Parts: sequence; C-alpha cells; structure tokens
Amino acid sequence: MRVVIQRERCQGHARCAAVAPDLYPLDDLGFIATDGFAVPPGSRKDAERGARACPERAVSIVEDALQGKTA
Amino acid sequence: MRTPASASVPDHVPPELVRDIDPWALIGAAGLSGHARAAAFHEEFPPVFFATRLGFMPGCWVPRRDEELRAILQDTQTFSSAGLTGFSAMIGESWPLIPLEIDPPDHAAYRLLLNPLFTPGRVAALEADMRLLCRELISGVQAGGVFDFDAGFARRFPILIFLRLMGWPVSEAPRFTTWVRTLVKGQDLGEVAATARQICDYLRDQIARRRAAPSDDFVSYILSCRIEDRRLTDDEIIGVCFLIFIAGLDTVTSALAFQFAHLARRPEDQDRLRRRPDLVPEAVEELLRAYSIVNMRRLVTGDVEVAGARMKAGDFVLISTELANLDPEAFPAPTEVDFERENKRHMAFSYGPHRCLGSHLARRELAVALEEWLQGAPPFTLEDEDAITLRASGVFGLEGVLLRFGGAA
Repeated sequence: MRVVIQRERCQGHARCAAVAPDLYPLDDLGFIATDGFAVPPGSRKDAERGARACPERAVSIVEDALQGKTA
Repeated sequence: MRTPASASVPDHVPPELVRDIDPWALIGAAGLSGHARAAAFHEEFPPVFFATRLGFMPGCWVPRRDEELRAILQDTQTFSSAGLTGFSAMIGESWPLIPLEIDPPDHAAYRLLLNPLFTPGRVAALEADMRLLCRELISGVQAGGVFDFDAGFARRFPILIFLRLMGWPVSEAPRFTTWVRTLVKGQDLGEVAATARQICDYLRDQIARRRAAPSDDFVSYILSCRIEDRRLTDDEIIGVCFLIFIAGLDTVTSALAFQFAHLARRPEDQDRLRRRPDLVPEAVEELLRAYSIVNMRRLVTGDVEVAGARMKAGDFVLISTELANLDPEAFPAPTEVDFERENKRHMAFSYGPHRCLGSHLARRELAVALEEWLQGAPPFTLEDEDAITLRASGVFGLEGVLLRFGGAA
C-alpha cells in the first residue's frame, strides 16, 4: 500500500499532518514535503485518515496490487 | 430600496433557475437558526440557481453543492477573483486586495511573501501567549453571573493576538474592530465606503511612518519585500496591508460567537469536551463546518456550464462556505454537530489557491479558546436567546451573545 501525492494540488491546509503527523511531513511553510511513500506496517489507518482529510483531494491511496500493474 | 427582480437577471438565465430572493436576508432573518435555514436551501433549490439580490450587490448564481463549489474554487481561470470586494472602487481608487483579488499565476508571488508569517510552526509558538490572554479574559467570569461574550471575549482575544503579531497598536483595538465589522457586515453602501476610506487613510499614514522609520512590524516587513528584485508599488503595499488588516480583525471573533452559542445550547456537547479535551481539535473542525461564516464571490470570465446552469462572462457567482458545508451529499445529517464525523473535508477556509492564509492561526485560537473556557469556567447557557440577531453578509456574525454561568451567584 502506497500514498501518492499530487503536490501541485497542495494548498497548505496541513490537515494530513494534523491527523497523521508521523506520516505526512510538511515543509517550513506548511505544505506537504513528499510525493508519496510506502505505508509502514501498522500505519494503514493513519495513512487513510490523512488522505481523507485533504480538502484539495491531493492525497490518494494506491493498493500494492494495483501499483504492481502500473509500475 | 429594491430594484425590480428583472433588472438584475441577465437575459441568458432561464426563468426556471431564477429565485427572487436574497440568500443573506433569508439566512439572517432566521437568527440563531440561520445555518439550519441555509441547510434547507438544499431541499428547496436546484443545484445551481440565480438569486436576484445579494445584500446591496446585484443578483448572482448560487451553487449550493460542495462538489461544484470546490471545482469552481480550483478553476481560477474561469472563475476570477479580480475586483470582487470593490472596496477600493468605493473610494475612487483601483488597487486590488492582495493576494485575495489576484488570480494565478500572479497570485503565487504575493502569497510567497505572506505564507511565512502564518505557518503552522509560527502559530504554534504563539500558543503560550494565547493561553495567558484567554485566562486573563476568562477571569472576569463569575459563577452564577452573566458575561457579555462578544465584548468581553470574542472581540478581544483573537484581535489582541493578531494586533500583537502584526505590530499594530493594541490600544486601537476597539476602533479597528468597529471599522472592520462595518466593512464586512455593513448593509449600507455609503457607510461601508466611508469606513473603507477611514481604514485606507489610517494604513497610508502607518505606511508613511514606517517608510520614514522602519521597525519590526508587518508594515515594515511589506515595505522591505521584493518581487523579482523590485520593491512593491504603493498600490501593492496598500492592497496587502488593507487585506491583512480586515482579514484578521473579524473572522475569528465571528466564528467564536457561533461556536459558543452552539455549546451554550448543547450542554451535552460541553460535557463531552470537558470530559474528553482530546476531542477539542476535532470539535473545532466540526464547529467550523456546521457554522461556516464566510461568503465570497467570483466573476465568470467565459462561457461555462455548472451542473446544468449556463453561465456567461460577466456573471457573478456566490461562494457560500456554509452551503457547501451543509450539503447533505457531502455531510449526512448536516445540521447535526458530531465531533467524530468521518468527513472533515469542509471548506470553512475555502479551497484552492486562495485557501485562508490565516487558517492555522484561526484553528489554534479556536482550540485554545475552547480548552480554556471548558476547563476554566463553569457550564454556561445562553441568556435571552430571543435578543440574539444574525447578520449574514461577507462574514456572518451573531450579535447579543450573553452567556449565563452555572454555580452560586
């Protein structure tokens, strides 16, 4: 399971980091500081909460099976 | 004086989409039930309709669903922000509010100058100060007594924090808040224009003083800023200063009144947060959603269809944060306040590039206020609900919120 972030859509709401600070790093201005990451074991729920929190719909979850096909 | 409905409906608007209403007047007339009245729009009106009036402004399209409103705010090419508040035009000038009335791509350069001032980190550093001030203001509350929440807290707490942060004189708080309240809530064009003139004159005087003798305040910072190796023009400087001045001096004040009026009417929600202070951040989000207060407009720049409504260049579109946030398709049972609601993607701070610059400051202030009041004061109810009025305009506000506190008198 991966988190994929369309950084150009980020407007600095910082809601992903508010609900899952360990997964979603912010830059100094409060914008998302990653294009995405593999979700560590046990962090699935937090990753999903972060994705659901984004007002701009910039964060999506990609299941590994799907990712295998598109890689 | 009311203009005939036909005068403000463009020819291309089909009659079946026209509603001869002023959305703000309908919501305002409902008083404390204003947001419930707004929620009823979702049952009464098409997804996009044309309201013939909006305060003292001409008729406009009203998209009511979250989905369309988000798409509009993310499409800044078709839906422009240029010139939409009209404050400078009211006083015979032509500068835009910056960055609010600047469309991308020019918007980004201005936003870059301002973003560093209101980052989550910078705001977090203010928290201790916020708590101290809150406690000082709450110390005026007496068990069994009545407290004027507006004058005693909502008009002071966020405003004093903001003035300190910006380096504007705290002693001027009463005059500043009255100005800004008139500007964003005024229903009389002449009064609003006269107030815009006063604010502009005050800021020009401040700018001249800081130009002569810079300090470490916000105006001096803007005077020192550069965009691609040039300093800002006089119009840019007044545009930025005017926007920041009005943006910081009424919104949190207004939000606090709605949120505390809700808690006063729902003792079970107060109890819950007293027992579970860890829920406060979620409560702030849910209260921001259920009691959104900001309305803006956009100007259509080219033919476009939104949920079946054909808009043309020159049409105005109302961006109503409370309608999106009370859309039952996005938020089931939208008038219910549920701190653990799953969907927290509300648009109280707008969507897209114009997302509220001060959102992190506002959230922190609202959370600190909730925590300090619920831990530091007895349970409260509303005193004289019938005397409370709602003013619906660019920033909704409640007047007359008095809290009665439990405990021995």
